[in-house]
Amino acid sequence: MYGILVDVTRCVACEKCVAACVARNKGNSQLADRDRATTKDGLSSHRRSAIISVDEGRFARKSCMHCLEPACVSACLVGSLKKTADGPVIYDKDKCIGCRYCMLACPFHVPRYEWDQTKPFVTKCDLCYDRIEQGQLPACVEACPEGVLKFGDRDQLMAEAKSRIKAEPNRYRDHVWGEKEFGGTSVIYISDVDLAELNWPDTGADSIPELTEPLVHKTPFIGLGVAVGLISLNWIVKRRNKLAGDDDSAKHSEENHE
Amino acid sequence: MSSRTRTIKDILWVLALSGLIAAVFRLWFGLGATTNLSDAYPWGLWKILNMIGGVALSTSGFTVGFLVYVLRIKRFQPLMKPAILIAFLGYGCSCAALLLDIGLPQRFWHPIFMWNINSFLFEVFWCVMLYFTVTAIELAPMIFERLRAEKIAHFLHHIAIVVVIIGISLSSLHHSSLGSLFLVTPQRLYPLWYTPWLPWLFIISAMGAGLMVVVLIRMLWAYWYDHDTVFGPRANHTTPLIRISNDSTTAVPARGPEGPEMPALRSLATIAAWLLGLYLVFKVVDLFLHGGWSTLMVGNWESWLYLIELTLTAILPVILMILPWSRRTPAGVAVAATSAAVGLALNRVDVGILGYVHDAGVLYFPTLVEWMVGLGVVAAAGLVLFFLAENMPVFGPGSTETSSPVGKFKLPNGSLSRLWSTTLADSLHRVTLIAVFIIPLAYVLMYPPYGETWAQPIRPADGLDAERATLCIDGNKDGVETIFAHAEHQHRFGDSASCVKCHHLSMPGDHSTPCSRCHCSMNDPTNIFSHDVHTAALVKVKHLGGLHPENFTCQDCHAPGSPRTAATAKNCMECHRENMVPPGAVEQSNNLLMACSYREAMHGTCIKCHQHEAIQLDQPHLSDCQTCHQTLRPRETTVQTLASQADRTAN
Repeated sequence: MYGILVDVTRCVACEKCVAACVARNKGNSQLADRDRATTKDGLSSHRRSAIISVDEGRFARKSCMHCLEPACVSACLVGSLKKTADGPVIYDKDKCIGCRYCMLACPFHVPRYEWDQTKPFVTKCDLCYDRIEQGQLPACVEACPEGVLKFGDRDQLMAEAKSRIKAEPNRYRDHVWGEKEFGGTSVIYISDVDLAELNWPDTGADSIPELTEPLVHKTPFIGLGVAVGLISLNWIVKRRNKLAGDDDSAKHSEENHE
Repeated sequence: MSSRTRTIKDILWVLALSGLIAAVFRLWFGLGATTNLSDAYPWGLWKILNMIGGVALSTSGFTVGFLVYVLRIKRFQPLMKPAILIAFLGYGCSCAALLLDIGLPQRFWHPIFMWNINSFLFEVFWCVMLYFTVTAIELAPMIFERLRAEKIAHFLHHIAIVVVIIGISLSSLHHSSLGSLFLVTPQRLYPLWYTPWLPWLFIISAMGAGLMVVVLIRMLWAYWYDHDTVFGPRANHTTPLIRISNDSTTAVPARGPEGPEMPALRSLATIAAWLLGLYLVFKVVDLFLHGGWSTLMVGNWESWLYLIELTLTAILPVILMILPWSRRTPAGVAVAATSAAVGLALNRVDVGILGYVHDAGVLYFPTLVEWMVGLGVVAAAGLVLFFLAENMPVFGPGSTETSSPVGKFKLPNGSLSRLWSTTLADSLHRVTLIAVFIIPLAYVLMYPPYGETWAQPIRPADGLDAERATLCIDGNKDGVETIFAHAEHQHRFGDSASCVKCHHLSMPGDHSTPCSRCHCSMNDPTNIFSHDVHTAALVKVKHLGGLHPENFTCQDCHAPGSPRTAATAKNCMECHRENMVPPGAVEQSNNLLMACSYREAMHGTCIKCHQHEAIQLDQPHLSDCQTCHQTLRPRETTVQTLASQADRTAN
């Protein structure tokens, strides 16, 4: 399973990764620049990744985290979003109906909608799935001049992240963001400042699908249970009425007087 | 057609027609251009209020069905038909709004074939779709009876109990699942409203409020059409201008201040109040169990909203249904029902929209198009309700105003021509009249914002644009742009060599150079504010004399007795208001350009040369980012020296 390791201490906010991302997705760079200035975190349908300031002088790439248990995939009612075995969470625009539940579900607030289109779709980073399949690096990783982004197998990246922290304990906080949060993510971060700006939870929370999926899988049985209960209740009432004789009218007036 | 309902019907027609026009606008210009939905608020009025709220208020079909068919309470039998009709129309208009809300309405059928069984939304879709079909089947006997297809009607009556049980099962699933939809946002929904009990709270409140809606609509109908069946015979029968349905007055003997149907309505409202009381208990227990209490005690606007919502939904209806003086009067029951319905709608808006305000950081208010569609679908449902109930015995045999025999909906000429001459001809005239006014009005109200601003997005100035005399600058991003005389500034600072003077002042990461970097303080050497010029101008205006007339002008800007510093001076805008440019006032075709930022300016100035020299001198590191950007250094200088020492010793 592939992933990206982001080393926040190395980022200089040159935004070459964003430019490469916009170019790879055949986006309009002028609109992307506009959205950089006009949106809260720089993400929009024209800009699938952004550099945000996480602290004074510290920057981090914000884009899809490619969660191991993605909330968007669990939420999408037509299965338009999919977690591939290779790691990326990809989007099939032929299935999407535009309900935008993925945007509500994503804890990182990553999927964005093409609000300026009359036939809009959801946009999100797909970890350059086509490039990965051809053995190339994702566009952002290839473009990064500072070695902030490292692409590779997630387990190896995790090991590398930990060895980096061990080698320079003064430089990093002893925490790998994305190791456990929301059930783990394919894009992991190491940093010397807190990354709350990226919507990481304060505590190691459960993955979002764990909150809903066990429930939703129970619903058919709940429905059946309700139906069975109703049928038996109906039978009981029917039988009781039969035993009591057909004195509905008497009962009626009685209840009226209560 | 009664004169009492004429006004209300005309209002409904206006709303429905403007909703239709707004729907065309939404389909034509797209979702983003016609709504205030955004990445911060992907779900807005249509989904939250129309769909989730509307469906919750239409639970009557299954709750009354449960009372009548499963518990076999005969008393509620007359309310079955209205309940089903309300459910059908409620679901219908909610789905119509939802259809316009989804980005690609032509693909609404996708979930039928494309499954994701892990998704609550998928479950909701299926349940709503199936339940809508069930309400249609439940409604069908009424139509078939009217069409005199008795065999089908009889068959449908026969399977009614099965259909009702399927309907209740589906309802119990999707009404709770509508709450579960918001379980996925533990990080974002305000903790007052986020609770693992959302499914329970949603279904209980929906059941209670849904029953209240039946009571309310039955009473409204009685108010318009068959006053006596609910409110009892009028005190003064000779009241002019208001016709009283003859059937009911003769059939019903006078029995006090209320009609024969009121006890059933009251006990229905009492059941609803029990459910809402249960909801209240759940809510309060939930507050203590899931940590909402401390959030409530913060006392911000969310706390107050929560209390208002809970009061309307549960506390007020329960109190009204407990107190004898209010539960005895039809007005008390009606107020309780209205309060519950409004409170429930508010609750859904809170959970779906207002609970996200603290996370999104911006407010969402629906556009005109959203309101028109949202109200329009409800108005259309209301019109259908009027039409069906006037032509079919929905609210009991005496409820239709025309005293025509029921069940004789002959297709041949007689009834059609009667329908034409009584209902359609009259209303067609007025509908046409309304439409003639509505269409241009809607065009005027809705068209302008979407024509130009979306066609010409703001773009950053590139090289050529920078040569222009003026740019629009909105440094603090508040939407108010200032005309910045770029050429003039450039000229004053020394032409083309002067770029760095301004563009070097902002910091990396700034999106554009704020004006306040220069125009911040009169003590600042780069400030253009000239104290002498201002005092001289004031002397001139006030015709002051003497050796030092400017000494008498201090209090014009500085508060009396305060130190004469920049902090105590007036805001420049208090006098120079005309210099401020409101949004949209600038001629946008030429000037809608943002000033280029520090990054753009520096990159444009440096990078080309660096890249050129890197090749010329064969020193590729010159074109690397870290040649200029040196964020890589660790934060604390002590760490830096230690680290660099370690590096040096290692090398």
